[in-house]
Amino acid sequence: MSETDTNTDGSEEARTDGGGPGIVAPDDETPTWRERKERTTGLSRLTYEYFERARREDQDLRTESDYVERDVLAFPTWPHETVRNLSIVAFFTGMIFFLAATMPPHIGAPANPSSTPAIILPDWYLYWSFGLLKLGPLNPDLAILGGQKLTADRTYGVLANVVVVGVIAIVPFLNKGSARRPVEQPFWSAVGVGGVVFALTISLLAVKNLMPMNVHLLFDLTFLLPIVATTITYAILKTMREGYMYDLNRRYYRLRPPK
Amino acid sequence: MSLEKKDEMDHKGWMKRKDLTPVEATFLTALVWMDKRLRIVDYLELMENLYYKVNMQMPKSHTEQYDLDNKFWYWYPLYALGSFSTLAYVVAAVSGALLGFYYAPAQAGDPSTAYNSITFIMTDLQFGFMLRSIHRWSAQVMVAAVFLHMLRVYFTGAYKEPRELNWLLGIVLISLTMVFGYTGYLLPWDQLAFWAGQIGVEMSLSIPLAGEWIAQLLFGGFTLSQATLQRMYILHVFLLPFVVTTLIAIHIGIVWVQGIAEPH
Ligand code: HEM
Repeated sequence: MSETDTNTDGSEEARTDGGGPGIVAPDDETPTWRERKERTTGLSRLTYEYFERARREDQDLRTESDYVERDVLAFPTWPHETVRNLSIVAFFTGMIFFLAATMPPHIGAPANPSSTPAIILPDWYLYWSFGLLKLGPLNPDLAILGGQKLTADRTYGVLANVVVVGVIAIVPFLNKGSARRPVEQPFWSAVGVGGVVFALTISLLAVKNLMPMNVHLLFDLTFLLPIVATTITYAILKTMREGYMYDLNRRYYRLRPPK
Repeated sequence: MSLEKKDEMDHKGWMKRKDLTPVEATFLTALVWMDKRLRIVDYLELMENLYYKVNMQMPKSHTEQYDLDNKFWYWYPLYALGSFSTLAYVVAAVSGALLGFYYAPAQAGDPSTAYNSITFIMTDLQFGFMLRSIHRWSAQVMVAAVFLHMLRVYFTGAYKEPRELNWLLGIVLISLTMVFGYTGYLLPWDQLAFWAGQIGVEMSLSIPLAGEWIAQLLFGGFTLSQATLQRMYILHVFLLPFVVTTLIAIHIGIVWVQGIAEPH
């Protein structure tokens, strides 16, 4: 608690009522919140300084911009987006009930630990993960270890899962800038398409014993098709890009002529 | 004369003077009653403040300012996928709660109580077959919607600054959605469930260093047993619902604060 200055007479009398300087400073000396914050030290001082800067930045932006101050710098979620979504989504929820009514699930034989079924599969949305467990042939065997594999095939598969999810997670930190449309960023769109195709092919690899084709060919296609898809997408977008950006810029500058 | 104060804080007198309609009077009475006990006025003000900060002090959106709605209305269905995931989640939650009234995660019995309770739901319970079907389909559709939502976000570049955090949160959400699906898949304890569980145990065991510990924690041992089913059940109906619901709320809260990234 900070000292108050009202105790000027220097007396050491015991104060028993509200006469002397209490805990609360007189009104005119009560520090404002700003003053209190200015007096802080260390991390809270830094926090205060940064907030002041941020506020000033906002204020400057507001005073110099030609924006009408009203909404978020994006589509407002409420009410625009929400109302629109609710109507679209109501329809699709109807679809869930329709599917449920027309294609009900069935139940298989009860669990039996002593008889392994020929086909073991998770739900379709985990096929990709299941497929990544079957990357054994890609697991490098090191000459140093006398042709032994560094990790067991299964560990390798689990690691592949972690790698895939990790790579997707760091996308925002790799692809920066303000491009929004696929044509504005052919490379990243191509990578995206390649990723989607890979999700598909690796899922097919997971069900390889159901696929009516050569397993080795399937394995090769699993990796070749995504690369082909990436290349084609890249070529197409790169070709489209020039004309498209021309249109886009023209529209943009018509709407907002450069000063 | 009564001893009660008759000053400005006399809310009853104030309400009398105002000549309110019954709806207004009821509303005010309830508000005053609650406020006396909980001081909700403070919190309301806090929320109001937040609302105006969020909605009123930001610059107008590009789309609004230049009236661009007519330029890309045909993309809107893709922008509804996030909401659709949420709604499919709600449908799954409601149908799941109803299923929960009849399901018991026990392995005793012949072949097992869990399996029997599913067959009971499907064959004897009124509307049970449909209920299970709804639960199953809403779960599947939710996973599909979440995946497509992620693609929408990816291809419109909506994950860029300042929305990286929501992307990361989304990764967690899609993973948890799949774990939700997986734990639910095991509950009927039929052949598929059992052997999918077997693969899960083996996957956990093959994780370096922590493998055995994780298998113990998630599956209650190195072979499937009553403990496995019990744990899957608790994950599916207790732990995950709380965690996922909270995370979805945060995810959508962030979208509300930041607005939907516009295509330019
Ligand atoms: C349980 C799963 C999820 C739910 C319920 C959900 C819900 C939502 C909703 C309602 C929106 C508003 C915009 C829209 O509807 O498109 C949104 C936006 C967003 N979501 Fe999700 N989401 C989920 C999963 C994901 C995933 C897997 C990702 C990505 C990895 C993700 C990343 C984002 C981002 C970055 C935004 C902001 C997009 C923008 O501002 O345009 N979400 N989410």
